[in-house]
Amino acid sequence: MKHPRLHLREAPLPGGQPLAFAIGLTVALFVGTLLLLGAGHDPVRIYSRMFEASLGGPDAWAVTLNRAVPLGLAGLAVAVAGSMGLWNIGAEGQIMAGAIAASWVARIGGDWPGLVLIVAMLLAALGGGGLLAVGPAIARARLGVNEIITTLMLNEVAIRLAQWLIHGPWKDPGAHNFPLAPMLPDQAHLPTLFSRAHCGLLIAAAVIGISSLAVRYTAWGYELRIAGSSEATARYSGISLSRKILTVLVISGGIAGLAGGVELTGTADRLTESISNGFGFAGIIVAALALMRPSGVAVVALLFGAVQIGGQSIQTLGVSSSVSTILQAFVLFGAIGAGVFSRYRILLDGEAPVVPEEVNQ
Amino acid sequence: MTQTPSPADESQLAVQLSEVWKTFPGVVANAGVELNVRPRTIHALLGENGAGKSTLMNILAGVYRPDRGELKLHGRAHQFRNPADALSAGIGMVHQEFRLIPSFSVAENVVLGSAPSVIKTRQIEAEVAAMADKFGLRVDPAQPLWQLSMGERQKVEILKVLWRDAQVLILDEPTTVLTPDEVDELGEILRRMADDGRCIIFISHKLHEVSGICDEATVLRQGKTVASSLDMATTDSTELARLMVGASPTTSDRPAAATPGVPLLELKELSARGDRGIDAFSDVSFQINSGEIVGIAGVAGNGQRELADVIAGLRPATRGSLIMNDADMTTASPRQRFLSGLGYIPEDRLGVGLAPRLSITDNAILRVYRQQRRGPFIVAEKALSYCKGIIERFGVRSGDIDGPIAALSGGNLQRLLVGRELDSQPSVVVAAQPTRGLDVQGVKAIQDLLLERRNAGAAVLMISEDLDELLTLTDRLLVMEGGIIRGEFDPRTASRQEVGLAMLADATAVSRP
Repeated sequence: MKHPRLHLREAPLPGGQPLAFAIGLTVALFVGTLLLLGAGHDPVRIYSRMFEASLGGPDAWAVTLNRAVPLGLAGLAVAVAGSMGLWNIGAEGQIMAGAIAASWVARIGGDWPGLVLIVAMLLAALGGGGLLAVGPAIARARLGVNEIITTLMLNEVAIRLAQWLIHGPWKDPGAHNFPLAPMLPDQAHLPTLFSRAHCGLLIAAAVIGISSLAVRYTAWGYELRIAGSSEATARYSGISLSRKILTVLVISGGIAGLAGGVELTGTADRLTESISNGFGFAGIIVAALALMRPSGVAVVALLFGAVQIGGQSIQTLGVSSSVSTILQAFVLFGAIGAGVFSRYRILLDGEAPVVPEEVNQ
Repeated sequence: MTQTPSPADESQLAVQLSEVWKTFPGVVANAGVELNVRPRTIHALLGENGAGKSTLMNILAGVYRPDRGELKLHGRAHQFRNPADALSAGIGMVHQEFRLIPSFSVAENVVLGSAPSVIKTRQIEAEVAAMADKFGLRVDPAQPLWQLSMGERQKVEILKVLWRDAQVLILDEPTTVLTPDEVDELGEILRRMADDGRCIIFISHKLHEVSGICDEATVLRQGKTVASSLDMATTDSTELARLMVGASPTTSDRPAAATPGVPLLELKELSARGDRGIDAFSDVSFQINSGEIVGIAGVAGNGQRELADVIAGLRPATRGSLIMNDADMTTASPRQRFLSGLGYIPEDRLGVGLAPRLSITDNAILRVYRQQRRGPFIVAEKALSYCKGIIERFGVRSGDIDGPIAALSGGNLQRLLVGRELDSQPSVVVAAQPTRGLDVQGVKAIQDLLLERRNAGAAVLMISEDLDELLTLTDRLLVMEGGIIRGEFDPRTASRQEVGLAMLADATAVSRP
């Protein structure tokens, strides 16, 4: 009888993750095909429509890129914390907090020139997201309180705060008693690059680029990676863990907040309850697929942007947009499953292979 | 080969392995090994780390399958596909790492996996107790496992194998977790089992233990049998050592003593708590002078690890003070201690001393990256050349230096770690278990580096479980037991027995709840 077993490789296969990702995508498309067939749709027609809508031409690319921006920033937020082994599950709320802070600046700076207003709004968004992460950061750094729970719970707080603002103090008097925040001033909108693609793309690219460099090449990033690999080693070498945890979680929150600010000034007209739109949670998937490496986030975000936009487009063909959510989930499952192969050897003869050191302990 | 059994008495052999080959990627672990074990004997399987002992025994126990070779039990050929096959043929192995469940009782652990569907606790406890009594394995079947000392846990592992009616017991380095007293006791237990008709294969690389316990010995070197079934009564240990190592070990290997100078490290009534909040050690006082290696001997878990952590600043002291280079360092941070001249080689290499997921370069620069900055960046060329320097000077055999450090072998990991710590020429060195698990060359290399540091005028604290190592290497020897320094010895004149006795002071009290 054969006993297949998994055995950890000394090092992951080179190029394993992109391959795993491709396998994940294939698995997702296959499962999607079965789903569509089961629901009586023509998969070829649906898939080509999805492709058309997301990647077929400049207009489609613009929409996809606009979607990739908040996904990428949210993914980066999670990945930066993840480089140190921390889980920021609160990006969703931090995006909302960023959007609230940016809206607040837009309210008081309605007559400021466009560039000043936009920069002020984005900085406020950064601060708002960071502020929401301060509590969990301090609790984790000083008391060791699990950041997963605290960041997750604060999501609800931020979303309720937005609801209260929209239904209460910030309700637009001109909206005929509808619970809507007022429209942003015209000059508060990010300029476009081409078609509907806005400048948020450049902001996201810059922030992702800087973060990747910082994590990979700076002393700060080095300490982050040491702490992420082993807290004991960080303590041993004199790296202040609590300060590191504090700064990393606040920066992570700030980046997520920035996503909210960019989303507000880039694609939304006003603050809404749904402006965070699940980006914060999708960001966790994006970061996981990028193996918590800031440099990988951009590619994954683009792909997820395309899947999401494609998924929305097929609603007009009578297909539920849940198909897109299911596809995203299966990309993750497939990629994680395939990722196992890049990190483990599969042995069919049921005997644990041994690296030389283990042979004679 | 000195003795080969004639075909006539083949069926007399309890275990006969012949021409066993086993290769792993990049290494030939067994290259035509043979082993003949007679019933009712205790058979030593000797060899250095890497000689192929564990591989051979894992083959016998059904964990690995040989590439080639024959396995006979009482003259009958067998092929095991898994450990269960081997066990049903009467072969049981007690591994170095125990596989026991802390919250279960002794009896529950013993019957685990082979228990009847309805467990009658009283009855099983009685049966386990009877079996334990028969062989002199003194354990209380009802006691929860977590309360047991390592020596007692080993007895539970042995009981587990006996419970499954193993006729051939393989013990993989069973004495590493035992006190000298417990080693003697184990010898008696094994003798009773042999007298009962079983045979025992005793894997070891400690000659003096083997000669007291075993009847015959097979010696492996570099995957080959260099001597088969030697009669222990007529073979002296120098001969065995020569067979194991390949050449006569030098007899005068004690390093020349350096002249001790001023005190560099001073502990004054230092106390600290362990991970469970109970005092790990208390009122420890000693000083180490320039040009001195002071050893701390003791069975694992008697406060040595915590003591090293406190000196390194990784664990707070609850009382007392720590003086390093005339400065009070009791509350200083690990970094301050490093800057004032402390090098620390922690017991847990991968996980405390090194960051397992990062590259060799990243790990090499852990102490110096702050000096390699330009603006916020670490200058890659500086990091790389520093890393290459460490690799060259300390003989680290590394493949890809951008690859993860965890891919290095144990010996090379330790060379890198020790090299990195000694490269800054620390005046105080704390080395916790610096040679554990290394092969002969690795042990020698690390010991030489520490001696070199001592001769350069550093104060070296060496914590080790290897009493022989401490007796040959150190200038003074302290014995720690139950968190207390039980005595100080001059390693030039002290005998193993004396030191061993101090290590055991009131040892029974420690293991009981």
